[in-house]
Amino acid sequence: MSVLQGLARRLQLAFGTRAADRDLDDEIRLHLELETEKNIRAGMSAEEAGRQARVAFGGVEATREAHRDGRGMRWLDDFAGDVRFALRVLRRSPALTLAAVVTLALGIGANTAIFSAVNAVILRPLPFDRPGRLMMLWESNPEFHWDQQDVAPANMLDWREQVRAFADVAGYADGDEAVTLTGEGAPRLFTVTAVTGNFFSVLGARPKKGQALRDAETGKSGTRVVVISDRMWHDAFGGDPRIVGRTITLNGKEARVLGVMPTAFRFPSETVDAWIPLRFDPADRADVSFRRAHWMRAIARLAPGVSPERANAELQTVVRRLQLQYPETNRVMGAGMTPLHDFLVRDTRRPLDTLLAAVALLLLIACANVGNLLLVRAAGRERETAMRLALGAGRARLIRQALTESVVLSVIGGAVGLALGWWGTRVLIALQPPGMLPTGEVRMDWWVLGYVAAITTVSGALFGIAPALWNRRRMPAEVLKEGGRGGSDARRVQRWGHALVIGEIAIALLLTVGAGLLVRSFHALTQVNPGFEARGVLTVLLSASGPRDSTTNNVRAFYDELLQRIRALPGVSAAAATSELPLTSWGWTSQFSVAGRAADQYGNEVAHREVTPGYFRTMHVPVLRGREFTAQDGATAPRVVLVNAALARQFFAGQDPIGQRVAFDKAPDSASVWRTIVGVVGDERQTSLGTETKIQFMTPFAQEVREEMTLVIRTPGDPATLGPAVRRAVGAVDPDLAIVSMQTMSAVRAASLARQRFLMTMLLVFAVVGIALAVVGVYGVMAQYARARSREMGIRLALGAQRSEVRRLVVRRGLGLVTVGLVAGIGVALLATRFMQVFLFDVAPVDPVTFVAVPLLLLLTAVAATWLPALRASRADPVATLREE
Amino acid sequence: MTASPAPPADVLRGTLDLLVLKTLTLEPMHGWGISQRIQQFSRGVLDVNQGSLYPALQRLELKGWISAEWRTTEHNRRARYYRLTAQGRRALGAETETWRRYVSAVEWILATG
Repeated sequence: MSVLQGLARRLQLAFGTRAADRDLDDEIRLHLELETEKNIRAGMSAEEAGRQARVAFGGVEATREAHRDGRGMRWLDDFAGDVRFALRVLRRSPALTLAAVVTLALGIGANTAIFSAVNAVILRPLPFDRPGRLMMLWESNPEFHWDQQDVAPANMLDWREQVRAFADVAGYADGDEAVTLTGEGAPRLFTVTAVTGNFFSVLGARPKKGQALRDAETGKSGTRVVVISDRMWHDAFGGDPRIVGRTITLNGKEARVLGVMPTAFRFPSETVDAWIPLRFDPADRADVSFRRAHWMRAIARLAPGVSPERANAELQTVVRRLQLQYPETNRVMGAGMTPLHDFLVRDTRRPLDTLLAAVALLLLIACANVGNLLLVRAAGRERETAMRLALGAGRARLIRQALTESVVLSVIGGAVGLALGWWGTRVLIALQPPGMLPTGEVRMDWWVLGYVAAITTVSGALFGIAPALWNRRRMPAEVLKEGGRGGSDARRVQRWGHALVIGEIAIALLLTVGAGLLVRSFHALTQVNPGFEARGVLTVLLSASGPRDSTTNNVRAFYDELLQRIRALPGVSAAAATSELPLTSWGWTSQFSVAGRAADQYGNEVAHREVTPGYFRTMHVPVLRGREFTAQDGATAPRVVLVNAALARQFFAGQDPIGQRVAFDKAPDSASVWRTIVGVVGDERQTSLGTETKIQFMTPFAQEVREEMTLVIRTPGDPATLGPAVRRAVGAVDPDLAIVSMQTMSAVRAASLARQRFLMTMLLVFAVVGIALAVVGVYGVMAQYARARSREMGIRLALGAQRSEVRRLVVRRGLGLVTVGLVAGIGVALLATRFMQVFLFDVAPVDPVTFVAVPLLLLLTAVAATWLPALRASRADPVATLREE
Repeated sequence: MTASPAPPADVLRGTLDLLVLKTLTLEPMHGWGISQRIQQFSRGVLDVNQGSLYPALQRLELKGWISAEWRTTEHNRRARYYRLTAQGRRALGAETETWRRYVSAVEWILATG
């Protein structure tokens, strides 16, 4: 029999203990029979024979015990016994057990939920081939204050060719396009990203049906092809098994479906439905705009065996070469690379890390509470423990039993916490700002379960050690003599209790200060004047890219007619269109020059928008000087432009910008278009309420036609009610056009604050839970304190002290503890909150208002928690307490 | 051995194992048979506490030195028969060696004392 067979037999015996018992009994019975028979043969009487047989055998019970002991694993038996004992003890004190389990479950549940999110975003590797070898390439420019910005296609191609350390470089357009799918029922919109042909091969992603794009497909000629996502395959085509090779109509043009990507492939955004090849002609490379316009993201795969440092060094060499070769565009254009995963999570990492820290602190408070509960109980069970020690129980065994209790408690708490955490992930997904978390990936997988197991164990150790080691030094005799109300030991419990309360209050303060700072910051954000009036406006994003919109004139006519119809709708007081909606984007950027100024006085990084006449009136943006666009500023009229107040301040300080001429080039030449400034308009917040307004030019839509425009429609009533009428109007002008999105401006504004609101809400929730737990802790400790001092209080009362004096005693002690905790917490907070700087708007990390209000709040709640025990202590009947012994 | 003080438990245990293994080299036997055989061969000197045999048998079984199966005796009674395994045979040699060395060591000490 091998070792494995031995182990198998051991397990068999361990679990089939009763069968083994029966077998042994059979054997023993036979043994005794045979021995008895032998004795009878030797001449003894039947009775004597039997007796002698049993004597010769020795103790049957002892044999049975020895046999049982030899079976299975001793420690397993012991452990099972300890667990059963622990469960009995827990059942006997249901209130304590419930309190401990609930507290633990809250702490562990919160950690589970947040860790699931962290796991999904930060820890899980990208679903690509060897994702660690993928680097995101970006460009930077100190003059434009660009960092980690989009890449110009010509630069990307040069890197691809010249940097040997890159096995290949792929690119994709930054930003999705909305395309209309026609011919499959009603026209529907899908999100499409344009990518280079080698996109899928560089990432190492394989389609689940058909083929992905090939390198050759990047280019102007050739049949149009498309790779679709699994979602689109099911949504639009019902999972048609013959989808590969089918021709579909996108934006009026035909494209052949090459393949279908698997569900897990959601790159570059969660919502992308299809990938089309970028159509640029190699001949375009010579074009300056190919190198000037930055609109791509580039991903490089490192060649085998190349380190990122070496690759970066090579990249920098090429960048310097390009700077010298193309001074017009690349003079100060730098570039760099970041591991792809790091780059993608850069916005989400900080908030998630903050939340993770917050829930870890919450768990600490929970453990402190449970630890105190168990400690008090351990002290309360001193007599029982002393008696057990006196009767011969091993100290080690008792410690092991106490630890087992903690383990059992933490396992129960952990199990409930896991369930709570699962529910928490649902809540997280529901509350999160769209796009922040990869919703499909936030789930309980083995990593999450492992994390829960780890924190459960650590928590169990944290709150279990002190109670378990409680009786380490005490002599049973002492305890039994003291009659259960031990002096020095009660003080020991107290000291622990005090320490725990101080710690809890400090941590609760830290959490609440963090939440408070976010609340103040959020409030400051909401108070920012966006530069326009958001209430009462409906926004409608359209993409006039269908078959009818093949020419600029058609697009212009489309929007003109649409706006006319909409203005005629009942309830509409004004309507216009803009290429960029405020609080979403600032549009494209360029350099510019003002006529009559020195050549080196050009402007950098000016934003551009195209707007229709009446836009500023519709949005209630003040026209500070000059005029708005009118219908006269048409396609053939002189080129005009508006500037925003920021631009006027920066470039026309002390001058009147009206009448000045500008061109959107750094060094205008004969081909440049000169435009005359006809007005100055108020600043609008372009990307977010927290970002300063960028200098911006507005050009008339009629002179710079764009396919994608957002309508803004003002109504005195509720803008949402205009929805159906607007849809009908759009349908009347072009039945094949689907509306990309329709939202009220108030909703857009709220969405722009979504991330801040989310973080603030989560941290508030954790802070409130933390305060609640800390308050419970304070209450518990003060109740314990009052109970311990009840004899002293009784004496005082009997000697004539006022009840209020007794109350004050307890409250003073409580306040003292809480104050120490607050001071400690403030100290830590002063150092720690600087890590929150990045989330704060207009609020200092050591904001005095928060740092005064929060401690006050905690002080008040803690005093309230102390009040009840104080009241009870003062109401106690002195005679009764003194009689108690 | 009945009159002298009992040797320490682990020595006794080891000795018992050795005796059982040796006994089983001849033929498979059940528990009672083994105890009788040991008594026989020791010419009555070793009066092994019969009950302690069964935990020993379990121990040896778990080590893989003996294997067991239920069989019927000549008188049609159900008994558990134990048999020496190949591994057990090897172990017997090793244990015998150990025992002889132990005995010699004790003898040396007694002789020089």
